[in-house]
Amino acid sequence: MKTVFSTEMVDLDRQAPNRNKRESKYFWDELYPLIAAGRFQSIEIPYEPKWDFGGRSGIPRTMRSIQMKFETPEGYTKHLAEMGITSVGCVHLDSALFCAGAPEMYLGALGHFAEEAIEFTKGLKCPVLTITTTPPVYAVKNLLKSREDFSEDLLIEKLAELITDINQKATDAGITLCVKNTYWGLFRGEGIFDFLEKLPDTVKLDVDTAHLAIAGVSPAEFVKKAGNRIGMVHFTDTAFEDNQEAYAQPLPEFPAKAATKVFRDIGDGNVEFTSIVTALKEVGYDGEICFNCRNSYDMYRSILRTRSYIDRTLVPAGYEE
Amino acid sequence: MANMKLSHMSHWKTVPYKQIDNFRDFYYEDKTNMAYYQDWDRILRYHKATGYDGIELAPWDMAEILGLFGTPEEYTAFAKERGIEVSGMFHGADDSQILEKHDEVLQAAKENIDLLERFGGKHLNMCPARNYCAAGPLSDDDLKVAAGVINEIGEYALAHGIQVGLHNEFFCAVNKENHRRFLEMTDPKSVFYCLDTAQIALMGDNLLDFYDTYADRICTFHLKDTASTGEPDEIRHGMDPEIVDDGWRWFWEPGEGILPLEELWKLVKKHDFKGWVTIEDDGAPDYLAAMALSSYYFNEVLGKIYR
Repeated sequence: MKTVFSTEMVDLDRQAPNRNKRESKYFWDELYPLIAAGRFQSIEIPYEPKWDFGGRSGIPRTMRSIQMKFETPEGYTKHLAEMGITSVGCVHLDSALFCAGAPEMYLGALGHFAEEAIEFTKGLKCPVLTITTTPPVYAVKNLLKSREDFSEDLLIEKLAELITDINQKATDAGITLCVKNTYWGLFRGEGIFDFLEKLPDTVKLDVDTAHLAIAGVSPAEFVKKAGNRIGMVHFTDTAFEDNQEAYAQPLPEFPAKAATKVFRDIGDGNVEFTSIVTALKEVGYDGEICFNCRNSYDMYRSILRTRSYIDRTLVPAGYEE
Repeated sequence: MANMKLSHMSHWKTVPYKQIDNFRDFYYEDKTNMAYYQDWDRILRYHKATGYDGIELAPWDMAEILGLFGTPEEYTAFAKERGIEVSGMFHGADDSQILEKHDEVLQAAKENIDLLERFGGKHLNMCPARNYCAAGPLSDDDLKVAAGVINEIGEYALAHGIQVGLHNEFFCAVNKENHRRFLEMTDPKSVFYCLDTAQIALMGDNLLDFYDTYADRICTFHLKDTASTGEPDEIRHGMDPEIVDDGWRWFWEPGEGILPLEELWKLVKKHDFKGWVTIEDDGAPDYLAAMALSSYYFNEVLGKIYR
């Protein structure tokens, strides 16, 4: 399996002391060698066009920012290599970024920026583009609330058509397209399997362990069921049990009735990664495993915690990098 | 009775919780200060504790605020319970220089005015056109088009109890070469000016002369300091100058930069200014510390001149 470390650990959306420097290029230039020092040579990049509109080109999460700071994707990968990062293992596009206005606008923006993300992924010679397919339940409800002519079922049909179209473009670019479900999305838990049936076989599944666990699904059993449809795996950890229907709340990552950090550093939650590794080996998966300490409170500790967990727990359990 | 009320521009990014009742448990999850920056209850209490009367909201936070509170009125009541008023909101009048976009620009502004009225705010601080790199240079005709729609926005705002204040930024298309002219092209009865002290110095204008000249148009302040003045065209007209690659800060808390703020306050006293003054500390590494530093300077240094 190929180990990837997600830069989605860098939280740009919530305030915290020293958060603002994350918008400057120097912050990222300091970060890459520290990721490499944790013996991670491959990274995941979330593709987030919203930073273009605020002129935040120091944040390396869009084609525009890469072009402004490095001229070309090749220039960026060369820069990364000089910092010890030899590949980009996954690009992630979250469709929730575009959930505003009318459903037609949402679908149009998703299609437009997915094409941009494909170019970005291709330019970085990255093998996988993964799309979080639906926005949160609450956001979808808001999107459709004044549209009696546009049901949730219709939205799902349109999404399936759009993902099929995006997949063709990704395939033409030599990229594997994956779809990812979240515990707050329309296809939570095993609901993603129904959606997969609407898509071509070449669209693969991205297994995100914490999202599955919170939705009440065993990630190991899910892996066995998904089998060779798996195209990407995200190892995320959590100790959260959703006994307050957080999945349907306005900000589902921040459960309103009892605050908690839903996504923990790898090894700090309850997800049984060793059994997931065993299940992945059983189904013959040998692709990327992306370790994601999403929205970390302490990024440098997250890098080291993840490396420590891999070395001390996963490798003895049979994980091979 | 004070002549001025102190507000703080909300640059806190997304505040994900309305109120954290399980604060101690949440703290023990990580045992760091992260728990202290995640709910509106505490952030509004920090405002009150550090001497602020109000908060200026950011339009880019609206989706989350309305998700958490349901309505603007609910947010305002929640803030009021903690001793804080909503003083105003920022608004970007993007493309206001494009005649074909007139209706769209007007409608977007009306929607934010309506929203701000429900929050109880009094100031819509508005940046005309876009950044220079996207919209500049502006011709006189462009400026006339922008002034026309902004006059209409100003009239609509006044009818709703709100003052539109033009807001200059050092990297915008309305810039050093035309911002005084642009202000004079707008209607003084309905369009006012939010004086951002650092931005005008960064543009290369004379802060004291500008205030003294246009004092009767200035309805509110964005008070902040800078250690940089008179930035050259290649910076002000460049791509994405606001966030600098090496972490250079354009903005500092009042008193931490080089602006003649005490001289300015003597003029503020001379012109008998009354109204909201908003501290803006974008770029600060720790907003709680920046709020406290700024409030101290406003009350203990400037306040000895005029408060």
